[in-house]
Amino acid sequence: MAEQRKTFHQELDEIRDEIVQLAALVSEFIPRGTEVLLANDMQGALSLIEADDELDALTLRIEEQCYHVLALQQPMASDLRSIVTAVWLTGELERSGDLMVNVAKAARRIYGAALGPRLRGLIERMGEEAARLMKLAIDAYVERNASLGAALDDIDDTLDQLHRDYIEAIFEAHATHDLGLQPAVQLALIGRYYERIGDHAVNIGQRVQYMVTGWLPEQTGAARLQARTDGEDKAADAGETAAP
Amino acid sequence: MTLGSVVAAAEGPLVAAAVVAVLLAAAVAWKLGVRAERRRQRARLVESVRRLDLPAPTAGGDGPEPLVAVLERAVRDLRAEGSVSAEARARLQEALDALPQAVLIVDDAGVVVDRNAAAEAFVAARHSDALVEAAVGELVDAALRGEPASRTIDLFGPPRRVVAVTTAPLESGVGRTAVAVVDDITERRRLEAVRTDFVANISHELKTPVGAIGLLAETLEAEEDREVTERLAQRIQDEAHRVGRTIEDLLELSRIELGQVVAPEPVSIGDVVQEAIARIRPAAEQARVTVTADVPADLTIDGDRRQLTSALSNLLDNAVKYSEPDSAASVEIRAVGRDRDVVITVADHGIGIPTRDIERVFERFYRVDQARSRQTGGTGLGLAIVRHVVANHHGSVEVESRLGEGSRFTLILPASPAADDTGQGPADPVPAPTPDPIPERL
Repeated sequence: MAEQRKTFHQELDEIRDEIVQLAALVSEFIPRGTEVLLANDMQGALSLIEADDELDALTLRIEEQCYHVLALQQPMASDLRSIVTAVWLTGELERSGDLMVNVAKAARRIYGAALGPRLRGLIERMGEEAARLMKLAIDAYVERNASLGAALDDIDDTLDQLHRDYIEAIFEAHATHDLGLQPAVQLALIGRYYERIGDHAVNIGQRVQYMVTGWLPEQTGAARLQARTDGEDKAADAGETAAP
Repeated sequence: MTLGSVVAAAEGPLVAAAVVAVLLAAAVAWKLGVRAERRRQRARLVESVRRLDLPAPTAGGDGPEPLVAVLERAVRDLRAEGSVSAEARARLQEALDALPQAVLIVDDAGVVVDRNAAAEAFVAARHSDALVEAAVGELVDAALRGEPASRTIDLFGPPRRVVAVTTAPLESGVGRTAVAVVDDITERRRLEAVRTDFVANISHELKTPVGAIGLLAETLEAEEDREVTERLAQRIQDEAHRVGRTIEDLLELSRIELGQVVAPEPVSIGDVVQEAIARIRPAAEQARVTVTADVPADLTIDGDRRQLTSALSNLLDNAVKYSEPDSAASVEIRAVGRDRDVVITVADHGIGIPTRDIERVFERFYRVDQARSRQTGGTGLGLAIVRHVVANHHGSVEVESRLGEGSRFTLILPASPAADDTGQGPADPVPAPTPDPIPERL
């Protein structure tokens, strides 16, 4: 039995290491995609789009490992939460990688469009902030740091503010005829991709909280709903009692 | 006398003799047993000595003692050798730890059995290092199959790095193991890029205007329209000025590179700033960019006034050139005394520098944006001059920049010792209101 548990924990460690590797790939995609976009690098865009296959293969491998452990080891309590979190995290990370692939595809669509320094600066900063959030999320996961996981929601405010400034800058550039409609739309989508990566990092933080404490933010809402339903039932019961 | 007592009297000596005989037999048997045991021990010792390839004792009898002595000597020698081996191992580990490259040795199962200090970063690594760790794992698998392997990995970071991973199989007595070496080649790559870009850029900077002058002169020869010839002549003049400026800057840079500060003299920062502003005044007026200066009058450093003016005017020239024209943008120059240094900042609210270019802007002929540089007419040597001037004055230069927000260059130069000794100016870390600032507004 002791041998079986040891193997199980080795498997858990392997899954954690592979998630760290997946997150590292995604964290690399962010500055890489930003550089492709700002440097009008068509070859770099193609190479990033192709690199998505590597991300997909690793995601599938981790998921299969997780299902294998679930089926054969039937983990309980915190071990079960670790496996469930790993499955969630692969989804969040894979989606974040896809968003940077979308940035590379958008860069190809707007190839040659002249972006003003303000827009370029904001893209650069959104990329840096998204990469920082993703790294913090993975630090929280590796260190099992629920507090850091919870703080990501607030840390994400910076990226949200940058996104708002960016959209404003797109409107300004379009209004002064410095930016055509099609590149403006593509750039707005690009901003949305960075902003969504921040949201995925926040989700990872929440899943880390769940892994460590067994609590999810949605449980607060569910508890409120339950309290309201109970209150309504009691009121209905009281009404029925008072009616005769 | 009874029959019994008669028999007893007769058997007494017999019993005694029998007891003596038994005792003798036991003694003989014990003696034989001991000898047999000694023979067995000796045989075992002989076998041990033979197996250990030790020299057989030539004297000392046929007992085990000479053999024991041989073995004891061998143990003493081994202990001494072990101590030497531990020392050698510690020395080897120390040497490995001193290497900037990460070195990992893995056993036939792929488990890391030995590593140096630099390799710690690639064990249970996170972020970019996790990708290097994964690559090491893959290449080690190949090495364990007997195939040497290598890979170069571009890491976007930040910080941006280029890492080379090489693995090789090791055939040893304990089976096949492997060694992996991880080398950070970022600086090597950067220097290669600097070299190739420099050669390409200098030929571009000099060949392009010379080629243009040649073509314009050819056209001029065949042209009869006076208006066109005047325009062509003006273009030739412009291109000639451009080559002239580049050559002047190259000579200036060469002088600064070679010259150091031969005879440092107290230089007033206020005077240097005024002179630098005077140099760029026409360009600033033309671009309608405001230049403001806030410099205490008593701030001095020991150095070369000409070099310092050149550095500052290059910084101001860039600040004006890369500010948005007609945008009422401002360029600020400020100098304060901080501890034992004089800190001069030149800040603009212009187009800014992309993060990936910041560390390269001090290279000769490096251009962030080729097209824009051509429009603004820079030689691509200004910041290289700044860097060399600062180095000649034992100072440092820092740059902070954001695309679309502007740039801030900070020169940190050692203050004049005289001013420092008297507790004036530079010794005051707080930029308190100065008695005689130099307000300069264009």
